[in-house]
Amino acid sequence: MRSHPMSRRSTRRVIAAGAALAVALLAAACSGGDQQAATGATNSTGEPSSANEVVLVTYDAFALPESAAEAFRAQTGATIRVVTSGDAGAMLTKALLSPGAPEGDVLFGVDNTLATRVTAEELLEPFTPPNAGVVPDADRPGGELDELLTPIDTAAVCVNADVGALAARGLQPPATLADLADPRYRDLLVVPSPVTSSPGLAFLVGTVARSGDDWPAYWESLRANGVRVRPSWDDAYQTDYSASGGDRPLVVSYATSPPAEVLFSEGALSEPKSVVVEDTCVRQVEYAGVLRGAPHPDLARQLVEFMLGPEWQAALPLSNFVDPVVPGTPQPPEFATWAARPAAPLDLPVDRIGAERDQWIEQWRSIME
Amino acid sequence: MTRRRTGSWLTLGLLAVAVAVPVAAVAWRAVHPDGTLGPDAVTRVLSSARTWRLLGVTVAQAAVSTAVTVLVGLPVAWVLGTFRFRGRRLVRALALVPFVLPSVVLATAVAAVLGPTGPVDLRGTWWAVIIAHLSFNLAVVVLVVGGAVAARTRSLDDAGRLLGVGPLHALWRVTVPAVAPAIASAAAVVFLFCLTSFGVVVILGGGTVTTLEVEIWIRATRQYDLSGAAVLAMVQIVAVVAALGVHARVARHTGAAAGVAARRRPTVTSERVAVGLASGVVALVAGVPLAAVAVRSLHIGPALTFANWTRLGSVTQGTGLAISPAQVAVTSLVTASIATVFAVAIAVPTAALVAHRPGGVAERISLLPIAVSAITIGFGLVLVAGRPPVDLRGSWWLIPAAQALVAVPLVVRVVAPALRAVPRAAVDTAAMLGASPRARWWRVELPAVRGAVGGGAALAFVASLGEFGATVFLARPERTTLPVAIEQLMSRPGPAGFGQAMALSCVLVVVCGAVLVAIDTVAERRGGRAGAGARGTMAAWTSSPT
Repeated sequence: MRSHPMSRRSTRRVIAAGAALAVALLAAACSGGDQQAATGATNSTGEPSSANEVVLVTYDAFALPESAAEAFRAQTGATIRVVTSGDAGAMLTKALLSPGAPEGDVLFGVDNTLATRVTAEELLEPFTPPNAGVVPDADRPGGELDELLTPIDTAAVCVNADVGALAARGLQPPATLADLADPRYRDLLVVPSPVTSSPGLAFLVGTVARSGDDWPAYWESLRANGVRVRPSWDDAYQTDYSASGGDRPLVVSYATSPPAEVLFSEGALSEPKSVVVEDTCVRQVEYAGVLRGAPHPDLARQLVEFMLGPEWQAALPLSNFVDPVVPGTPQPPEFATWAARPAAPLDLPVDRIGAERDQWIEQWRSIME
Repeated sequence: MTRRRTGSWLTLGLLAVAVAVPVAAVAWRAVHPDGTLGPDAVTRVLSSARTWRLLGVTVAQAAVSTAVTVLVGLPVAWVLGTFRFRGRRLVRALALVPFVLPSVVLATAVAAVLGPTGPVDLRGTWWAVIIAHLSFNLAVVVLVVGGAVAARTRSLDDAGRLLGVGPLHALWRVTVPAVAPAIASAAAVVFLFCLTSFGVVVILGGGTVTTLEVEIWIRATRQYDLSGAAVLAMVQIVAVVAALGVHARVARHTGAAAGVAARRRPTVTSERVAVGLASGVVALVAGVPLAAVAVRSLHIGPALTFANWTRLGSVTQGTGLAISPAQVAVTSLVTASIATVFAVAIAVPTAALVAHRPGGVAERISLLPIAVSAITIGFGLVLVAGRPPVDLRGSWWLIPAAQALVAVPLVVRVVAPALRAVPRAAVDTAAMLGASPRARWWRVELPAVRGAVGGGAALAFVASLGEFGATVFLARPERTTLPVAIEQLMSRPGPAGFGQAMALSCVLVVVCGAVLVAIDTVAERRGGRAGAGARGTMAAWTSSPT
């Protein structure tokens, strides 16, 4: 039979293919092993499994306060692994697309502008840490959200002005939100998009808080004045802002960006290039919650509680450039000197934002895009 | 016979279900936005002027990209199809390489030239997107039109000349009419590719230029407007099906180019200039981005360094990756290998049905994954995978299955023509000698097309490795794939992430290039069996948009 040698050859091929596949799978198993060695914490499928680890799901820009994480390990024996996926909005959406089968244990970084979304899909497990009493009432999200979200820090989203770059154009920093639409500041402002960035959304909320129903007109005037929209805070601040080497001397960033400038310059700057336009500041509160279906629910609760504790709270300013939510937490001197302290930042109730946010975003998109 | 076909129909059924389930999930979400059945989401999206503007922009950019690609590609195809010259193989190979690269990698390569660190920064403009589309699709024109140019009978040209027609006149009166159907066919394929282009627009659009496909992604993953995204996905399916209909009409007029290549040396100066110009265009469109990726991978900012490569083994702070790029690469290779096994297992029995009756139901079903964009498949799988009764999100096979789905039409396109070309006599002889249908399939037909199966498998591997649209929805940080990681790195400003994206792109360029060379080498050794080899495989790919 002529077909005989052929079939034997094809048998050999099947064996060869099988061997190749086996090698590939072996490689997979080994990579799982590597991961295990590296993090001490995953099984061969890559899913978190170790009891000695708690996984913090958060946004890209989050920086784990190392000393506090060490203190948490000393207290509980568990290490904190950080898993990030995009900015706060992207991270939250990703979590909402797989409710009950989360990528980690604790969700951190949902802010007051997005808070109401966590009620969808039963994303979080109700949990109020025993030390929650230290949180001022004003920082709580309110209503049913109080049982799901624990406030951890506050911040203010504000326009930063590069004083030197403005002076070179013969300009003083703007004084008010309305100034940004002034033709003197034409083509100088860059903002992160409220669709894909949480400071961008906070700024949009601020303009609604200031202008009420007339906010679309304000954005029309910003648009007419040449505002540039970038997809993320990173793009706006790190690439386009003149103090970072870009061409725009006005940017939507944070009240704490000036001290961050100095601290990240590694000695190159003795004082910040930027000032904060306090009239533009919008209040932001960041929350943590326990994910439903968390692989390590006990550690998750312990971590949320620990995040309100003194070590974590004290480490927040210099790791993430936010203000601790617990009153009386000591502040680093750089903050006292350079961070803005807006007396009455723009703000709207969480439930009002929740009810109208999606509509605002749609309307903003139809104005700006 | 019956038995074999039953198995094949079962496989085909599985394919149909695998496509139908995510589409149904998306459709259900569109009409069932907030737990209640209603047209709210549909009317909200369809009544918005922005939706129609977006559809217009999407179609327009695809049309412009197609026009540019055809205009640039025609002279190249003509030169490569007409002339024999030193370096011809190299120029041709260079023109084909971008096409086998993952769209994310190609976009990264273009961003290395036209991005923030390049000589001109066109990121965030349509120019960058159109140039990337040109680079990507040049191969389609070169293969489809070049094949037709080479196959036209040379005697026709000579006859024209003998009758006193000048070379340009002959080109216009003889060659162009002869290859017009091929041009139309290539244009239709390029248009389809550009209509559903995702990775290119995500990376080069910079958040300011978007298409329907990108808008679906932004709504689903950023804005948490799942019902809006679902309605747009339905709009997208309608648009793609319409374009596929046009493609089918146009492609019907194109016979398979089966002539013997009759290339000659360029004789007059104008022909030599044409050869030089075409080679220059290919170098510019395909060579420069590839070179730029390699160069940028050796830089952080302006400084020359190997750090982007040496750091691939560890997790670098500030890149946003949860595992090291080396681990990402291993995960990617394993995932693509599993996807290849799935794709071949589904596609080969399907191809048997398609070969049995070309143009029939089986062929239509096998093309379903093309009509439904990868984004929709990924989005649908995310919607359906986490719901009771079964929670599949942690399953190891979910991403490979999605990638396989996207690769199946390619494999079918490669294997079915080869099966059709198996000599009837061989099968009949085996039957006369008493071989059962099963034995005939395993011992005669399948061995006869093993070259095509190998080529199809290699294609499936490359396609799975580069798959972005569906994977980006399903990948988890600790098990991400190379294209998803590259997009993540590219979306962050800062030199560290950019350099690593360049290094990872180089890795993918090398892997995909190696697979292509392997197919070609095997094919050469086999001596051009039907359907086997880079040419047959690529030809199948370019005539089947994904």
